[in-house]
Amino acid sequence: MVKLNNYKVMKKKVLLHWSEYYCSHFKKSLIIMKLTVAFLLLGILTANAFVYSQDLKINFSQKSFTVGEALATIEKNSDYRFLYRNDQIDLNRTIKIDASDKTIDAVLTSMLKNTGINYKTVQNNLIILSPIVEQQKPTVSGKVTDNTGLPLVGVTISITGTNRAVISDVKGNFSITLNANDKSLSFSFIGMKKQEVVIGGRTLINVTMEAETSTLEEVVVVGYGSQKKVNLTGAVSAVKVDDKLASRSITNVSSGMSGLIPGLAVAQSSGMAGNDQATMIIRGLGTINSASPLVVVDGMPDVDINRINMNDVESISVLKDAASSAVYGSRAANGVILITTKSGKGLGKTTLNFSSSFATEVPTNAYDFMNNYPRALTLEQRANVVNTLPSLLTYKNGTIDQWLALGMINPLQYPNTDWWKIIMRNGAVQNYNLSATGSSDKSNFFISVGIMNQTGLQINNDYSRYNARFNYDYKVRNNINVGVKFSGNWTKYTYFYSNGFTDPASTNTAGYDMRYAIAGITPYDPTSGLFGGVMAYGEDAQAYNPYTNYINNLTHQNRQEANTSMYGDWTPIKGLTARFEYALNYYNQFQWSGPTPNTAYNFQTNTYGSRVYVGANAGISNATNTGYKTQMDGSLNYHTLIGQHHDLNFMFVYSEEYWYDRYEMAQRNDRLYPSLDEIDAALTTIQSTGGNSSTEGLRSYIGRINYTAYDKYLFEANCRYDGSSKFLPGSQYGFFPSAALGWRFTQEDFLKPFTQGWLSSGKFRVSYGSLGNNSGVGRYEQQPTLGASAYELGGTIVNGFVSQKMTNQNLTWETTTVLNVGMDLGFLKNRLVTEIDYYDRLTTGMNQPSSMSNLLTGAYNAPRINIGNLRNRGIEINVTWKDRVGDFNYSFNVNGSYNKTNLEKWSGYLGRGTTFINMPYHFIYGYKDIGIAKTWADVYKATPQGAQPGDLLLVDVNGDGKIDGNDQVAYPNAQSDRPTTNFGMNANFSFKGFDLSFLLQGSAGRKQYWTTNYNTTNIPLTRYASSWAQWNNTWSVSNPDGIWPRLAGSGNNVTNTSFWLQDMSYLRFKNIQVGYNLPKKILRRLGVDNVRFYATAENLFTITKYQGLDPESQGDINAMYPVNKSYSIGINIGL
Amino acid sequence: MDSKQAEIMKKRSYKILVYSALAGLALLTSSCTKDLLNQTPKVDLPSSAFWNTEADATTALMGAYSAVRPLFDRDYYMDGHGEYFRTRNASSSTLSGLSNLRLGAAYNNASYNPSGYGSGFDNMYMYLYGGVNRTNYVIENVNKMLLTAKPASIPNLQAIIGEAKLLRGMVYFKLISMWGDVPYFSKIAYSDADVATLSRMPIAQIKDSIMADFTYAFDKLPATVTTAGRAAKPAALAFRGKLQLYWACWNTFGWPELSTFKPDAAVGLAAYTAAAADFKAVISNYGLTLFRNGDPGSWGTMGDASVLPNYFYLFMPVANNNTVGNNTELIMGFTHGGTSTNQGEELMRDFGGRSQESSQCWVFPRYELANRYQSTITGDFCPTLLTTTSANVAKDRTKLNSAVNPASYANRDYRMKATMLWDYEQIAGMKSLASTGMCPYVYKTYGSTTLVPGLTTYDDGGAGEPGYIFRKFVRNYAGQGRSDGDFTWPVMRLADVYLMYAEATNAVNGPQADAIALVNQVRHRGNLPSLAATKTVDKPTFFSAIEQERIVELIGEGQRGFDLRRWRAIERVWCPPYGTGVWRIDTYGANLNQYFLNASELAYQQCYIFRIPPGERNRNPNLTQNTPWL
Repeated sequence: MVKLNNYKVMKKKVLLHWSEYYCSHFKKSLIIMKLTVAFLLLGILTANAFVYSQDLKINFSQKSFTVGEALATIEKNSDYRFLYRNDQIDLNRTIKIDASDKTIDAVLTSMLKNTGINYKTVQNNLIILSPIVEQQKPTVSGKVTDNTGLPLVGVTISITGTNRAVISDVKGNFSITLNANDKSLSFSFIGMKKQEVVIGGRTLINVTMEAETSTLEEVVVVGYGSQKKVNLTGAVSAVKVDDKLASRSITNVSSGMSGLIPGLAVAQSSGMAGNDQATMIIRGLGTINSASPLVVVDGMPDVDINRINMNDVESISVLKDAASSAVYGSRAANGVILITTKSGKGLGKTTLNFSSSFATEVPTNAYDFMNNYPRALTLEQRANVVNTLPSLLTYKNGTIDQWLALGMINPLQYPNTDWWKIIMRNGAVQNYNLSATGSSDKSNFFISVGIMNQTGLQINNDYSRYNARFNYDYKVRNNINVGVKFSGNWTKYTYFYSNGFTDPASTNTAGYDMRYAIAGITPYDPTSGLFGGVMAYGEDAQAYNPYTNYINNLTHQNRQEANTSMYGDWTPIKGLTARFEYALNYYNQFQWSGPTPNTAYNFQTNTYGSRVYVGANAGISNATNTGYKTQMDGSLNYHTLIGQHHDLNFMFVYSEEYWYDRYEMAQRNDRLYPSLDEIDAALTTIQSTGGNSSTEGLRSYIGRINYTAYDKYLFEANCRYDGSSKFLPGSQYGFFPSAALGWRFTQEDFLKPFTQGWLSSGKFRVSYGSLGNNSGVGRYEQQPTLGASAYELGGTIVNGFVSQKMTNQNLTWETTTVLNVGMDLGFLKNRLVTEIDYYDRLTTGMNQPSSMSNLLTGAYNAPRINIGNLRNRGIEINVTWKDRVGDFNYSFNVNGSYNKTNLEKWSGYLGRGTTFINMPYHFIYGYKDIGIAKTWADVYKATPQGAQPGDLLLVDVNGDGKIDGNDQVAYPNAQSDRPTTNFGMNANFSFKGFDLSFLLQGSAGRKQYWTTNYNTTNIPLTRYASSWAQWNNTWSVSNPDGIWPRLAGSGNNVTNTSFWLQDMSYLRFKNIQVGYNLPKKILRRLGVDNVRFYATAENLFTITKYQGLDPESQGDINAMYPVNKSYSIGINIGL
Repeated sequence: MDSKQAEIMKKRSYKILVYSALAGLALLTSSCTKDLLNQTPKVDLPSSAFWNTEADATTALMGAYSAVRPLFDRDYYMDGHGEYFRTRNASSSTLSGLSNLRLGAAYNNASYNPSGYGSGFDNMYMYLYGGVNRTNYVIENVNKMLLTAKPASIPNLQAIIGEAKLLRGMVYFKLISMWGDVPYFSKIAYSDADVATLSRMPIAQIKDSIMADFTYAFDKLPATVTTAGRAAKPAALAFRGKLQLYWACWNTFGWPELSTFKPDAAVGLAAYTAAAADFKAVISNYGLTLFRNGDPGSWGTMGDASVLPNYFYLFMPVANNNTVGNNTELIMGFTHGGTSTNQGEELMRDFGGRSQESSQCWVFPRYELANRYQSTITGDFCPTLLTTTSANVAKDRTKLNSAVNPASYANRDYRMKATMLWDYEQIAGMKSLASTGMCPYVYKTYGSTTLVPGLTTYDDGGAGEPGYIFRKFVRNYAGQGRSDGDFTWPVMRLADVYLMYAEATNAVNGPQADAIALVNQVRHRGNLPSLAATKTVDKPTFFSAIEQERIVELIGEGQRGFDLRRWRAIERVWCPPYGTGVWRIDTYGANLNQYFLNASELAYQQCYIFRIPPGERNRNPNLTQNTPWL
């Protein structure tokens, strides 16, 4: 029988209830269950009890008691009362209590030690004694979902205030065992708002998590680790690659970043498959040497960003100032782009993802060539007649008339070819990706394969890329982790000219530019299998048939890259981690070409012309570039908390990098047969070979300290000591320190009254420091060497050496010093987040070849010196608004940056040109004009300059009565190479399963003289593919309103003058994307997790005043590969 | 903190220290790639490894040869400064040489018209000094070797210095003949500071230094060429003679554009005499003969090129060997290598047309040159060739003395057939290193298969121009690309020495029998009869005969412009200042280019002396400018 013993004073009603409770329930099982609940409740109630009990001390008069005596003594000397079951407590057991003035807790603990009995204080003075029931601890379970009802996998559910935690499973379910004192659960998941839920006795807790509305809580990958965004002190911007970004129909990662990050300018010059020439610049031109940012993928620098599969990327961070870039510093002076690929960490289950998309591409813009040969000849005749007697014209009227007439009936002999139609097609991009990822408590993995297949706008310009990646981490011991990362890619690339239509080399005299592709050539005659050439009388026999080259004269390039790394870390004691990482990047590139012989054919005379596109002795050429790069990093990290508020982290890294590259080529003439492609399939009569190799080493010591006090004051200091094999001993090492401070002022109590309600978070950051750069210097440039210069004696080659180097022994690192001041603010519960940065970036000692007397420059390469300073100042703003209204989620982001570059010092001689002190590098410099002279009166009024009506009249700026170079004017606020202002805006909307996003991007502050080979008014008099603009726009007596100067006029008409100065500002609708996620109900039946369909369009339209090909383009005067506009559809499936 | 806690902390710090040290040690020892920061070049020779053996001196000399070669081997462009040679464009053909000296960088971006060219030679100026540096490098280093050399090595080392000094002398000679006073230095420059402030040295002083170089070379070089392509005593002597001849001319005719130079007729006379003596020594002392003994060879058949006169072969690789018993006419030349040697000359590319390995016809013989070829019958000029018009071509094909009538070219100087093509003359065609058969030239046609049955007409690449095409320097056999020529470019040949000797002696003493005989030897090459007595009656008449020989014998060898300038003959051959200008025409009578129309004195002065590169004057305040360019 159950008997309540010693139950005496029942001062409160509630306790009476308890006694009744125990009295009236008999069944043991039932009791146990109820007790569980009771204890649970008790646990919640204990908080006050302890306060009470801690104060009271009990005095015992003797040292040995029975338990019963002890309890009685306590009851006697205090208000405490005990509740227990006689069959559970051995009241007769003798115990010893040897100290007096003990707290009641101490007495009870000592008394019940090793008895299996626990005690709990209920209310202020009732103590329950009962057995410990371990196997029957209470649990709470439930399900975690997102706001669309989809289960969230891998959510961390922890018991607040403890380190006990579980992770939600595949279906979002979790179950966690509770201890008596556990009060609440906290739910956390990356990208979701952290939630605390009071358990309140519930055994089932379902939670819906909401997406993180504040970017401030995000974790950002920084050098050698990651950091909470709130604790960042440098200028770091990050992009998470979600399925929307990965779904875009862009063929490389750099283009995908355009418009997303303030301060990062991405310009795409061409839409050529395999060579779309996307260039990235962070915060303006940092140096006149290579100013590209360093790309680091999973800790490995020197990975080609454009060969990465976008679908493998988890996040991209852009480190913009010296302090944050410092750990990658020896080559990070122009900023760092950190790419982190996916892993299965914390996922719990294995998921499979498949995605596929198909895009079709068309040009955004193109030159409008005339597909009308007689008219093109007439245009040349009109130009010709300017200074030639009619009897001596290159093209006779008869030739033109004949073509005009016969062209209508005999297209083979009198073609009017529309080359654009012949050599262009709609491009296409296909993407297929399959990935699997998963984890257990010991290991996690990510594995993926991807195929990207691009057929360019130009016939036979194809590019395919195959990517594979395997990331794996394993916990060897509790304190030892190891992991490997492997990624490989393979590309196949076919093209005719490396730039698509032109060869940018100034030494190119092959005449393969499109401007030589006259309409009067038959591309190909399928009947005879012949490729056409020049036919008109007087036409230059060298005029060009592009079709034949795009068919017969292709270069094939295969490239394989393997980027592998492995690491191990070991935490021997808490806080101290040693890490070792070794990375090996290997590449092999093979290029071959075996052109098929063909000669221009004249279908009028039925003879071969003299133009040999590919000679009969055409052979085979091979070139192999191969090499590797190794990197070894060892780091030590110590993290400690001093007291509660001082968080300290020390890191030391030692790093070695080594490059080895080699090149080999072989070529033979006389291919045995056109279908054979290997070198051995050619005669050995004439052959040539070449080969060389080069190496480079870099050694760095890096130290970093992070200190955070009270979560308010942030401090970081870095220093690095870099040595490069490019410099001579004595000048090899450079020391580059940096430091950063941050102040989260909204955490200050004295400011809270002012900021509460509207400012949810605020941080002020400042960083200052320097970084080195050695990119301008050649690997062996500083080494004193002799140049080989052979001579020929008696019919054989004899060796010769010449001294052609002058070396500046003191050449050393160029240094970039950056001051960054920034402010991060979060308003209205962080729905509105802004980041503002100001920077002042000074590059000193830029490496450049010095200028020397021309008494030496004919023999020696001028020594490179640390020649000048370049300063970039600018501001960046990033504003994000993110909110939801019911099921409607939306966000807007606007970002912009302004950068002013200024050349501050130059110790060499600077002549008249676009480089000068206290001006932007490559500013606009040219003549001014008053437009086209309409009449002779206009000509007479202007300064004499040999002009006629129809010519541009230049302004005699210095008033010396003549027009010469001194009349050119500088425009200090415009640059010709890149814009000063870049901005982007993107917006995302989602409602239930639908989502919509778009991205606008634009720039301003760039101007350029639009003087290309395709819009010149001084056209060549033979073999010129003219455009309709040249026909329609040129001024003539019969076209007095022509907006362009006359044909074949003064040279001033095609010079850099204000007439041709074009503002290259633009606003481009970069991307729009609509997606739909299938509802869960349907998915369940299908047995899949998610299915998303989407449609997206790139470069939909552009608003610009620029009349040339593309305002983003960096091309030369021959460049003409358009930028692509594309439309695509795709699907993502998750299992 | 109690003592126990302190103990724990201490233990912990100790652990951290030990682990850190261990990890650090493991890193630093396991890693360290050997000599990570000491990477050595794989292709280039470290300077420290050189100048150890006597053979290194020869190797260095070869480096100097290969650096001086491209300062001379495209001098044919410079013939464009004269009246008979059209350089259509020399910048396109040297485009790939923008930064590649071997491919014509020294000649790039210059003007090769008969007027207005004086400001276009900044590149040439710079690269000529490149040659100075290259030769200084050899001379100074071999001189150092001499100090410790074994006696047996000394003659060879001295000969090497001699050869380098000959090259340096040639380079400075070219510099002074174009710019007058120029900076002079003869030591290795180690930094910009060594030369940055040099001022121009008076021409007389430089002339003496060049004389010293030539004299040293003459003393130390072997008497005969040991290996084809190297220099011997006659080269040094011939150049010393030529330098004195020029010095004589400047002193005789004056050089008013060079403000620091005071001509002195007496000095001139002495220089003529000294020049004649040097030439005489070249002619008499070394057993040198004209190519194939100066025999004209055979004209062959009109319109057929299977047989060509000997003069043609003088400019083919068969004439390269200038050792004893071979072509000793080639006193000094710069060798070239053929296919795959990276040392090819581009004579075919510049002189040939599209029909020859897609060559480019960058240069042409002018219409006016055709009239300079004399009759093998009369030994005197033929009637001027009559031009035609498009409308009259057909009937003018048979008209007497018509430029488009092949018969008008019969019985002419054999050198004409060896030098140029007129309508219906044939030349070997070739594509992709294979022969395409013969190729007839007919002005204003190309690719025609009907004009000469079975043959396709010559393609001049649409360059058009005067109605004539060069044959000289264009190989008549297939197998080498247009940039893979292996011809040894002549900078001094015996025929030139003969004519210079005649000029020098004529200036001192009037026509001399030995001089007349030498001129006749040169004429014999064209199968022309000896000069008529009327041509040698006095100084001016004989001078004209010598000038005539220089025009036809040396066409395309870069001499005419220099001759006109040293003789101050530009006004004579064109027109005086403010004249009506002179047209160059084509065989169809069309005006091609007009020169010196209403040209001021300044325009002429700017032909007589070249412009000191203004960029350099911006850098060096001590560098003065030639008066016409101020």
